[in-house]
Amino acid sequence: MDTIGGLLAGFEVILTWQNIQFIFIGSVIGTLIGVLPGIGPLAALSLLLPATVALPPVGAIAMLCAIFYGSMYGGSITSVLVNIPGEAASVVTCLDGHAMAKQGRAGAALGMAALGSFIAGTLGIIVLCLAAPMLGAFAIRMGPPEYAALMLLGLACTILMIQGSALKGAIMIGLGAWLAAIGMDIVTGEFRFTAGSVDLSAGIELLAVVIGLFGVSEILLNVEQSARGMAVKAKLSAVWPTRADWKASFAPILRGSGLGFAIGLLPGGGPVTASFLSYAVERRVGKNPETFGKGRIEGVAGPEAANNAAVSSGMIPLLSLGIPGNAVTALLMGALIINGVQPGPTMMADRADVFWGVIASLYIGNVFLLVLNLPLVGLWVQLLRVPYAVLFPAILLLALVGTYSANRNLFDLWVMLGFGVVGWFLRKLGYELAPLVLAFVLAPLLEQSLRQSMVMSPDGAMIFLQRPLAAVMIAAAVGMLLLVAFKRKTTTLVGGTA
Amino acid sequence: MTITRRGLIAGSAALPFAGAAMAQETHPARAALNAIKPAGYPREPIEMVVVYPAGGGMDITGRVVQRFFERVTGERSFVNNRTGGAGLVGHTWLATQAPHDGHAIGIIANLVISDAARSQGRWQVSDLDHIAHLNAEPLNLMVNADGPFKTGGLRGLLEAARARPGTIRVANVVGGYYEYLIEQLEQASGSRFLKVPFQGGGPGITALLGNNVDLAFGFFAEVRGHMQGNRLLPVAVTGRQSTPFLPETPTVNSIIGRNDANWGVSRWIAVPKAVPADRKAWLAAAFRAAVADPALVEEFRNLGALPDPALDTPEKLNAAVAQMAEAERAYLVASGRATR
Repeated sequence: MDTIGGLLAGFEVILTWQNIQFIFIGSVIGTLIGVLPGIGPLAALSLLLPATVALPPVGAIAMLCAIFYGSMYGGSITSVLVNIPGEAASVVTCLDGHAMAKQGRAGAALGMAALGSFIAGTLGIIVLCLAAPMLGAFAIRMGPPEYAALMLLGLACTILMIQGSALKGAIMIGLGAWLAAIGMDIVTGEFRFTAGSVDLSAGIELLAVVIGLFGVSEILLNVEQSARGMAVKAKLSAVWPTRADWKASFAPILRGSGLGFAIGLLPGGGPVTASFLSYAVERRVGKNPETFGKGRIEGVAGPEAANNAAVSSGMIPLLSLGIPGNAVTALLMGALIINGVQPGPTMMADRADVFWGVIASLYIGNVFLLVLNLPLVGLWVQLLRVPYAVLFPAILLLALVGTYSANRNLFDLWVMLGFGVVGWFLRKLGYELAPLVLAFVLAPLLEQSLRQSMVMSPDGAMIFLQRPLAAVMIAAAVGMLLLVAFKRKTTTLVGGTA
Repeated sequence: MTITRRGLIAGSAALPFAGAAMAQETHPARAALNAIKPAGYPREPIEMVVVYPAGGGMDITGRVVQRFFERVTGERSFVNNRTGGAGLVGHTWLATQAPHDGHAIGIIANLVISDAARSQGRWQVSDLDHIAHLNAEPLNLMVNADGPFKTGGLRGLLEAARARPGTIRVANVVGGYYEYLIEQLEQASGSRFLKVPFQGGGPGITALLGNNVDLAFGFFAEVRGHMQGNRLLPVAVTGRQSTPFLPETPTVNSIIGRNDANWGVSRWIAVPKAVPADRKAWLAAAFRAAVADPALVEEFRNLGALPDPALDTPEKLNAAVAQMAEAERAYLVASGRATR
């Protein structure tokens, strides 16, 4: 396959005014839903799906894709400014991004988030062009044992994220895993921990948990502290990251891009997992890990790069094999079918216009988003001038609307508000919330792939040693846990604190 | 194309109204429908509930049908995905909470039968009135085109299972037709399979593509692309006769010598029982006119499903639904899952 020729043909397809309009509209909508807490890309895409029936397939898919990666750009904005994630993949951006905003460096955090997203998006697209069919074929070889090993590695990384007490961190991981277990058991079809409730039988909605734990609890904390006047002082001028910021962020962006790309490639992986793991890796490799969470730009640049790269690579299994890896790409696949394009291994040959057109649209969309987002950083920072008494009720209202729009289920709102209160208590008691969310995302995948592996193996757990890739990942996870245990022990001894 | 500001605005403004614009062509069945249209109904867009996620097979059928409903009636409607609990949340909403004024209807499938059993007595299939059949399709049994069972067909696979019990890996979705079909195959081979559980048919097909299972079931739209790309091969189909989409592929029944390996999906329109009779009649006639439209039949064919001309009245459909429920109950009793 002639990649350059295909790509040029793709640009020819996509560079019509009509298609450019669609990409532009998609970028704007994506940024907006990223900014609005609660409304995630999935809800926005399902609302817009019917409208795409009347559009040409390339334009329709290009617009829907632009919404997806646009939301990754927009999601960091509220995370940084008010410590409320715009969507689930921006949760970790709160940790250091908001700390930077408190130091008056909101502009640098937002600028680096946009640049990191752009670099990762672009790198992701280049690799996608060059290696889509090959990578797709590799991803599909990954079976349940490899997934189980990968998720174990992911959970081991969660432990690296824990800042304070290991016991408190372990409690949060356990709580996240338990919450994720609520709902239907995939092996037996029985309901677990649902107490006979139909609402709980569907499991707990990730979006409601995230918005509650981070968004609502933040509002509650602020209401409590409002008397003390804890408003963030933002310097409105310093938009561009400094030379030092660049230097610190360069490697994290590259690492985040690589990690995000790899995670996004796998069915079941996605931007949320990618951003969390990138943060964990940056903490591991960065100097002075204890200053993470206190305004390190690496903690913004890496995860923001990772979630965008994951979006790009998530297109690979869809476009090259017709296999959707997550809920959003499943929806894109539906959009293709509705528009008369059959996704599958033959799509690249049969509908080269769609295949290369969509890939070319990703380039254009990322450029649009950078151009849209960088000048807007100054504008977003102005949001901080809005008194919290106005800003927070507005955010709460948007969070309610957004969470409701995902499933149109009132129960989700109670979940969101309930987790708001839980999150407020946990934060007051010094528990970290990020490990809970990551466990909530990873534990079901681990459980599912572990149980699938055990069922499909005639030799029980030996299957993990018989498959080399799985064995390597399990060894890495065990090694990482031993390292952490050892390190904690030595720090305790040296530091003399219990 | 020239660059105009108006073009940009028109392009964006056209999006939300695409459906309504399409509905403005007058459909030949419109006059007959208007004659029986109840006064003051519908007074708002009709919500068409799909209980599975946007973009999936059921959703795609739902959206195509919704478009033709608007084309036939000229009335506004929208598809709403009420998802969760593998369909249980949406089905429960339809049977117990949906408004009774005909402004919420379900685009559902025979999977509603097993969900009624899972609802622990909260509701029954007979709480819904089944007013218009849409289409039906069998399950396709697939193997990997480069895998160990690429030759020999289903018979060869069953023989291998007999020779080496407990080694054949089959993609399963618990608590439904996938599981029942696997059990019938196990009985035919006299041995046990490794039933690898997945959340839905799609992930099972993915596992088959990666050779992580040996046999998987899928609907035609899910597997067509992989067959064209020579990645997957069909070895059998469910149902009483072969499907016109795969005329060469034998039925499971013919291979294992049964007559009840007929698991597949049948889709129809259902409304809460309490919806007024005249509204039900108008809805039923509208969907019947839509399904009679050759353009919709063509859309169904593209998705791998066919309408059933024998189910042309609500009475016949209700009877057929009762029969499907009975067949499933009989299987559950015979397999020891239920006592009555």
